Amino acid sequence: MRTTSSLLGTLAFAAGVFLSIFDRRTYNSASRTVFIHQFYFTSVQILPLFLSVAAVFGSLINGMAFQVIKNLGLTDYLGRLLMGFVVTELAPFVTVLLLALRSSAAINAEIAVMKVNRELDTLEHFRIDLLHYLFVPRILSGMLSMIFLTSVFALVVLSVGLIVSGLIFGTGVDAYFDTLLNAADIFDIIVLLIKCATFGFFITMIPIGFGLRATRELTSIPVSVLNGMVTVFLAIIIIEVLSSIIRFI
Amino acid sequence: MQAFLTDHRLNVGLVSPEVPLISNLPVWSNIALIRQYHENLPGEKSRALVIDLLERFGMTSIAEKRNPFLTEEERFCVMFIRAATIRDAIVCLDRPFRLLPARPGGRFFTEALQKIDDLIAEVHIFDYSREKEPYETNDGAEN
Repeated sequence: MRTTSSLLGTLAFAAGVFLSIFDRRTYNSASRTVFIHQFYFTSVQILPLFLSVAAVFGSLINGMAFQVIKNLGLTDYLGRLLMGFVVTELAPFVTVLLLALRSSAAINAEIAVMKVNRELDTLEHFRIDLLHYLFVPRILSGMLSMIFLTSVFALVVLSVGLIVSGLIFGTGVDAYFDTLLNAADIFDIIVLLIKCATFGFFITMIPIGFGLRATRELTSIPVSVLNGMVTVFLAIIIIEVLSSIIRFI
Repeated sequence: MQAFLTDHRLNVGLVSPEVPLISNLPVWSNIALIRQYHENLPGEKSRALVIDLLERFGMTSIAEKRNPFLTEEERFCVMFIRAATIRDAIVCLDRPFRLLPARPGGRFFTEALQKIDDLIAEVHIFDYSREKEPYETNDGAEN
């Protein structure tokens, strides 16, 4: 009963946030500043770590997968493997895990601290709408960051793939790009973009919702972050499963 | 006081520990936020406006500081300026000695008010009757 009510509450909050994205009042100078700061914290500050992870992960995955493909004589499936698995499945999954670990936890704690310190009351006193000023810019930033970082991850992994395929199969640059382009499917790319935006929406919206559930007690902050992060993890799994169903069934 | 706040909710600026500064924003953003949000004033313009207001208090050096690093007097002045940046501001000081436990004399409030009186339509101080003396007030506005 409690879980159902919590789920309904989260969905209602998600609907409110989604509608606010299309509200003109959301787009003012103050909200733009929040958006820019959040995008910087989420997408730019993480880049050194993110690029390193993408390079290491890309080398590892490409090295193993290409070797298996070569041993099984399935070289025709190289493009399909890269576009169908690495770009559309692996890239968003690794990206969302990194963003959830870093930014979702930070957003959850930030909102909970603001609630405990009564700073949300301050915004309400000055008639600053929390949805317009505090929530929507963070959520939009999360959505754009997911799309941006997934693209970066895919580019790094495909670049590493170029080197690895050259070493293992002796593939040239032109042949490599031809293979990728032939394997690219517009439907997969559309599903990928929608999946990234959905990931970004929920990994920022859920921590905000749980941050708001903090009470005036300091001890409610870790509880709020813990519950928020568990729910974010569940949301990631659900979105991943749903997107796979859409793609493959 | 609650009834007063409700009646004037469109342009009342409360100075009170119940309406604290936002701790992850610097001082200038705390003040600029109101006009940025309600009037869509660009960031650079609103920053210049805030620096001008802080200069009147000789406090431009705190523009980039955050709430935990302010002295009690600085915090009060920032909250006072923030309340005054509302259009036709009705500034409402709610038991200000809670923010200023060192209890400066009434002259402190008068001087602070004079520095930004061009922004303020009215000032109301809500405090206990026993605290009347430090404000050097002659009218009957008390609660």
